Amino acid sequence: MALPLTPIWFVALPLLVAFSSPLWARLRLLMPLLLGVPLTLLVLAIALHPLVRTAPLVETIVIAPPLGIHLQLDSASLLLIALIGLASALVAAFLWLGDTEAHLRGRRAFVLMLLLIAGCNGLVLTGDLFNLYVFLEIAGVSAYALSALRQDAPALEAGLKYLIIGSVAAVFFLFAVVLIYLQTGSLSLGAVASSFGEIPGPMQILIGLLMLVGLGIKAELFPFNFWVPDIYQGSHPAVASLFSGILVKAFLFVLFHLVFVLLADPEVIRTWLMGLGAATMLVAETVALRQQDLRRMLAYSSLGQVGLVTLALGFGSEATLAGGLFHLVNHTLVKLLLFLLAALMLRHLLSVRLADLAGLGRVMPLAAGLFVLGALAVLGLPPLSGFVSKLWILKGFAEAQVLWPIALILLAALIEAAYYFRWIKTLYEPRAQMQEGRPLGHWVYAPVVLLAGLLILLGVAPFLVQDLFIEGAQSLLARDVNLEAMLGARP
Amino acid sequence: MLEFLDSPRVLHGIYVLGSLTLFVIGLYGLLAKRHLLKILISIAVMELSVYLLFVGLATSPGETAPILSDGLRAFAGMADPVPQALTLTAIVIGMAVLALGASLTIQYHRLTGNADVTAMTELKDS
Repeated sequence: MALPLTPIWFVALPLLVAFSSPLWARLRLLMPLLLGVPLTLLVLAIALHPLVRTAPLVETIVIAPPLGIHLQLDSASLLLIALIGLASALVAAFLWLGDTEAHLRGRRAFVLMLLLIAGCNGLVLTGDLFNLYVFLEIAGVSAYALSALRQDAPALEAGLKYLIIGSVAAVFFLFAVVLIYLQTGSLSLGAVASSFGEIPGPMQILIGLLMLVGLGIKAELFPFNFWVPDIYQGSHPAVASLFSGILVKAFLFVLFHLVFVLLADPEVIRTWLMGLGAATMLVAETVALRQQDLRRMLAYSSLGQVGLVTLALGFGSEATLAGGLFHLVNHTLVKLLLFLLAALMLRHLLSVRLADLAGLGRVMPLAAGLFVLGALAVLGLPPLSGFVSKLWILKGFAEAQVLWPIALILLAALIEAAYYFRWIKTLYEPRAQMQEGRPLGHWVYAPVVLLAGLLILLGVAPFLVQDLFIEGAQSLLARDVNLEAMLGARP
Repeated sequence: MLEFLDSPRVLHGIYVLGSLTLFVIGLYGLLAKRHLLKILISIAVMELSVYLLFVGLATSPGETAPILSDGLRAFAGMADPVPQALTLTAIVIGMAVLALGASLTIQYHRLTGNADVTAMTELKDS
């Protein structure tokens, strides 16, 4: 039986494998499958690329006409799908090779991580507002349970806080979806988009505000992101790397996908989104200055980068969009690298507070060296990939003759440099006695070194992937083509 | 005397007022209460108000339940089935989240002996 290669596999495969987990646990295949499934999805995404390039791929699973489920795969969502596959494969490899704590290698973590992947893929692919809500809850519930997985007081506290704030976000989002259905009588993105302009003005604003609160909480935008550092500190760093690397990215994509599809003229909220992005960036970077815990510092730095991406995507010109998408990918790679290093340091020293990390460069030279590389990539120094993506964004703003974001981005980079160099300085401080932890095997570093290699490769040869991002930006902006594809798919 | 209540405008107005009141009660509980279970209940009340609003506004007086029984093939006078199906789905999801929240709360209480959000100080800015 030949199985057609369609977008549904991006959601169905992780779900199927997750729910047959008792079988895999008995066959001792949990870890190979946790690595294999995202890799398969990555290969599938690459295989679908030539198809998507010509036209967005729209799949409708018909239940009973005119009812059906729409999945839409265009160049931009393909980029995100591939990123989710790559990032989760790397984290899985880290968990497998790294001989990490038992609770992260068990059946529960296996099921939850695959559900998280399925939820994120669904969020990115779905062409239907109610399915968006369902996937938001799938991704959300698996994230709450993942952060509480260790079941000690900090982990449970993180899980509870995440659950409460996440449910509130979901209620606001559901409220917006309900209002949209009552106003337009439809939930399919294409149909809603074509009649969104006819909704009375005040109602549009109410729907927009509810959506912004719901998705703003999930996508960690200021002022709805006060909870993020707590969650990242309480969860295992490998789990936090998944949150920062794929979950936030999926929600950011959803936010901007909705903005670009629903609004005929995205300029009406351009100032709002850019303002939110700029505020997120500056506030987070400033607060990051005085953090004493590596995980919290990375969380604030992650928020700052999310703000930068929001600023670039919110502006909505083709150049900044391409730069923003590239920066989104870079940030995923960098934060995976830094959080996975934090996991290694935490295992070795049992603490990642600034004072305890002094002199780590002696004991774990490779980890410290890679940390420096990651920090330089966040700052955007050549020849690392962060430099190229920041350059694209700045060039995009300069071409449009809008100068204030450039000043803010450079200011944020300065603040970033201040706190990252504080941590680097501590790592290489001389210190007489250093407690000797359990030695780590060489294979532990394999996924981390691979990440570092990718950062350098993308920095040295950005032309390898340039077309992907420009296509992604164009497909986000091509509202008419997307609408036509979505409406044409209706049975 | 009370026929005016049957007009859709009045009825929908009452539904909107009622569910918004519930929403505000839930929001108040979320912000003002400190016990974890009370916070979870407040979230459930907020969700409930959204479901009520949805089902209430999507039906008008005189419409029948959207069920096709044996031999009945006409769609005449039937309420829109989509909101009801969606609400059912949303209720199930909300229940699952609530159950997860309650179980996490119980575990947290067993471990630390408190169930007060303001006493959760394990994770904070240092």
